[in-house]
Amino acid sequence: MHSRQKLAMAILRALLPRAERDEVIADIAAEHASIESAHGTGAAQRWLWWQAVRSAPALLGWSWWRNWSGFEPRANAYRPGGPMLRTWISDARYATRRLRARPTYTILAMLTLALGIGGTTAVFGVARPLVFDPLPYAHADEVVTFWMPYWWTEEEFVYLRDKYTGFQSVGAQRPGDVTLRFGDGPTRLLPGRTVTAELFDVLGARPMLGRGFNAGDDAPGGEPVAVISYGLWQELGGQPSIVGQRLTLDGTPRTVIGVMPRGFWYPDPSTRIWLTKQLDPTSRNGSWELVGRVAPGVDPRNMQPHVDHLMSVLKDRFQYSIKGDKTQNGKMIPIRETLLGAMRPAVVATFVAMGLILLIACANVAALMLGQVEGRSSELAVRAALGASRRRLTQQLVVEALLVGVGAAVIGGALAAAGFRFLASSLPIGAWRENATFDWTMFVVALAVAIGAVLLVVLVPAISLWRGDIRGTMSSARMGGIQGRGGRLEQGLVVAQVALAMLIVSGAALLVRSVSKLYAINPGVETSSVSVLDILASSDETDAARRQKIEEVNAALAELPGVRATAATGKLPLRGKGNSFGITVEGAESQERTTTYFRIVTRGYFDAMGIKLRDGRTFDISDRQSDSGGVVVINEALAKKYFPGENPIGRRVRGGFTGSWEIIGVVADVSEGDLTDDPEPARYYSAEQVDWFGTSATLVARTNRPEDAARLLDSMRRTVNRVAPGFAIQEATTMSRVLDTAVGPAKQVMMLLALLSTLAMVLGAIGIYGVISHFAARRKRDWAIRVALGLPTSRVLTNIVGQGASLVALGILVGVIGTIALARLLTSFLYEVGTLDPIALATASLVLLLLGIAAAFIPAHRASTVDPALVLREQ
Amino acid sequence: MSDFTPLGVLEEQVLVAVLRTRGEAYGMEVRREIERVTGRDLAIGAVYATLDRLEQKGLLGSKRTFSDGPSRRLFDVRPKGARALAETRAMRERLWQGVSVNGLLALARG
Repeated sequence: MHSRQKLAMAILRALLPRAERDEVIADIAAEHASIESAHGTGAAQRWLWWQAVRSAPALLGWSWWRNWSGFEPRANAYRPGGPMLRTWISDARYATRRLRARPTYTILAMLTLALGIGGTTAVFGVARPLVFDPLPYAHADEVVTFWMPYWWTEEEFVYLRDKYTGFQSVGAQRPGDVTLRFGDGPTRLLPGRTVTAELFDVLGARPMLGRGFNAGDDAPGGEPVAVISYGLWQELGGQPSIVGQRLTLDGTPRTVIGVMPRGFWYPDPSTRIWLTKQLDPTSRNGSWELVGRVAPGVDPRNMQPHVDHLMSVLKDRFQYSIKGDKTQNGKMIPIRETLLGAMRPAVVATFVAMGLILLIACANVAALMLGQVEGRSSELAVRAALGASRRRLTQQLVVEALLVGVGAAVIGGALAAAGFRFLASSLPIGAWRENATFDWTMFVVALAVAIGAVLLVVLVPAISLWRGDIRGTMSSARMGGIQGRGGRLEQGLVVAQVALAMLIVSGAALLVRSVSKLYAINPGVETSSVSVLDILASSDETDAARRQKIEEVNAALAELPGVRATAATGKLPLRGKGNSFGITVEGAESQERTTTYFRIVTRGYFDAMGIKLRDGRTFDISDRQSDSGGVVVINEALAKKYFPGENPIGRRVRGGFTGSWEIIGVVADVSEGDLTDDPEPARYYSAEQVDWFGTSATLVARTNRPEDAARLLDSMRRTVNRVAPGFAIQEATTMSRVLDTAVGPAKQVMMLLALLSTLAMVLGAIGIYGVISHFAARRKRDWAIRVALGLPTSRVLTNIVGQGASLVALGILVGVIGTIALARLLTSFLYEVGTLDPIALATASLVLLLLGIAAAFIPAHRASTVDPALVLREQ
Repeated sequence: MSDFTPLGVLEEQVLVAVLRTRGEAYGMEVRREIERVTGRDLAIGAVYATLDRLEQKGLLGSKRTFSDGPSRRLFDVRPKGARALAETRAMRERLWQGVSVNGLLALARG
């Protein structure tokens, strides 16, 4: 017979039940031979393979069914052997029976494991686009971003364009949100980017429809064009004819030249549109970010010579202030780092925390199983005595664990699906939320994690099984286990659990301390009852007309019920630094030229924001427009810096707008940029007096009651749409949310960790309870004898609780050491709290210790109240 | 019609083949018989699985031959199996009543 035929035969042989194997194989061989003689070798071979392949599913199902149902035909009675997989299948049956007979254990083990699996899976789903997925750019490791002590200007970019060395091409991008009016719908805001013509070449990305930008598109006289994302294309109807059509963006028409493929994003997934602008080689306007693709053969990790060259080119041409000096410390940053770096710590911290929970859950289930194995020691001993091999006993354990694992994976997958949205919304990952999708791969991950976890879990009882003297157990079992010291492994598991829980709890405690410190900072503005509406006006109106419109909207908002004061500002506190302009004090012109923050606000601004007036007055109706200057309000930091020991009221300053401006009032400092910044000088101009407003403005409305702040937003929206239909509403929020955002990811990570530490503590408590009650039960007889001999029952109680407490204390100690090693993960979220903050560590330890004692108390109390006479009689 | 559940197509074919092979009904012979009559290839695994299922339902019985040649598991139709076959056939005939074969052929020719 041919070797290939032998293989087919072997497959059939392996699949057939042993009792009928020989006869069926003989029949097949006979049939094969007769076909061979009638139709030739080829036909016979094809027939055999066809039989093997087509029979396989039926035979597998047959084997399984026979073993599961226990059906054995009468004709096979007295015939030796069973089918393949027999032991595994009967073990599965046995394990199912056992699990069903112990529902508490089964449910507890599955749920515990499911919590860990579900959590890890959900975090994996969120983290996947950030940590695991490749960037949608060709050879992304060749793409780097330029160093940035401050944004790059158009002038710098255009000047450098033909002076790069070591780069294939360099492009630039800056934020460029635009308003879109499409059909009859309201004006909407598109998250977009203004880019230079090279950008898509740098990224190595091609549009799926139409073309990308060409060299002339950003030159003076270039046609206004746009490339849209796949998502926007779908929203606009998804027709290929979109290429060549015109969209009204920011009030002016632009031709769509291309559609990027699905899955492409830059610089974040929320970006819907990319536009070019006509670059102005003399513009010092900033906020550009430079990205380059290194030339072939250049090592992207060794760009320093090229950076040095660029810095010397810059030095020849530009003068820099110390703060924004681009000729120092230049370096290239890998694009992955630029795009994802900021979010990674939060995701990694959560990932680690989730992994720890999974480990705790594993330890918990391992302890539960160990308890089961020890509880069954007499049974195991009997079976061993009857000839069961250790291998077989272990196999049973593994099968049981796998069943628990599969159950846990199903529940865990469901938990992950439920928890996924929550996680995605509470992690500080910004626009990445759009990329975080939940799909079937998550269930595969859940199952893989579950199987990994149960194999880890089953290791523990398996070790105890292999180490233990099974036959010896039988004799001691009859004695009631007085020798019962043992349980080392279980105790070790408790210590490990507590140590892991300690890591999470102390991490959460560190963040709680840090966040509470952040909230304790006084931002200088009213945060509880202020509604905030960001609007974007199209740039095709004149400055004055825009200002007029904003004032109109402002007046209309003031009419809404429940509103105490309204105002508009170019820049809201707590939201980044905003514009600065130079300042000179009249009468002190010799002072070094410096800049201060520069805010344009409407009249009621200070009232609406709750900014306290320290001296003088704020803007009023008498402050009219004039060509020779006007009035200005300054903050305390400015007064302190430029007028030390003097009264600034009545003094005049120049800079920014033309003319000389009289200081009429001093107001309290507010958090101009970030929450944690020191007070910095700022000056305020009245929008009415300068008759100017930028294209983006923030409307604020102070409400009478804090709870109205969020409620008001809808009517504010409607008012804006009615009074100024050309304004796009960018964001509607409240000042307290702005504060939350300013506090930043620390708060979101804290909430997650707080949640996870509750989970860790619950699991830890279950573990301690389980192990201590098992410990107490095993020594029941021991205690009973001692109590019978006169030991006070209170001593039993303290002894058992002490046992639990010492395990917990040991776990805490190990945990503290681990915390010291792991707390570095959290440094980027901590504000004025060291990673070894004693208060945080002490609180976490205390909480865990109390929890451990409480968990140990229940079984201890139970053990101390047992009647010794009953126990002794029982055994 | 009390506890009668209609037989599946393969079940029916296997039962009939066991009847037709008369005393020689072992797996491979049953397979061969069905192939001979229906003209379609059949996997031996499917035949064995069906034979087992029918035995478990009590429609077939099996015993071993210990005569000359290899020992084989031989099947015979039990009363319950005979009843099931009769019912299935009766049901089919009722179903076909009033449908003329000639008309059908005319339809098939289009």
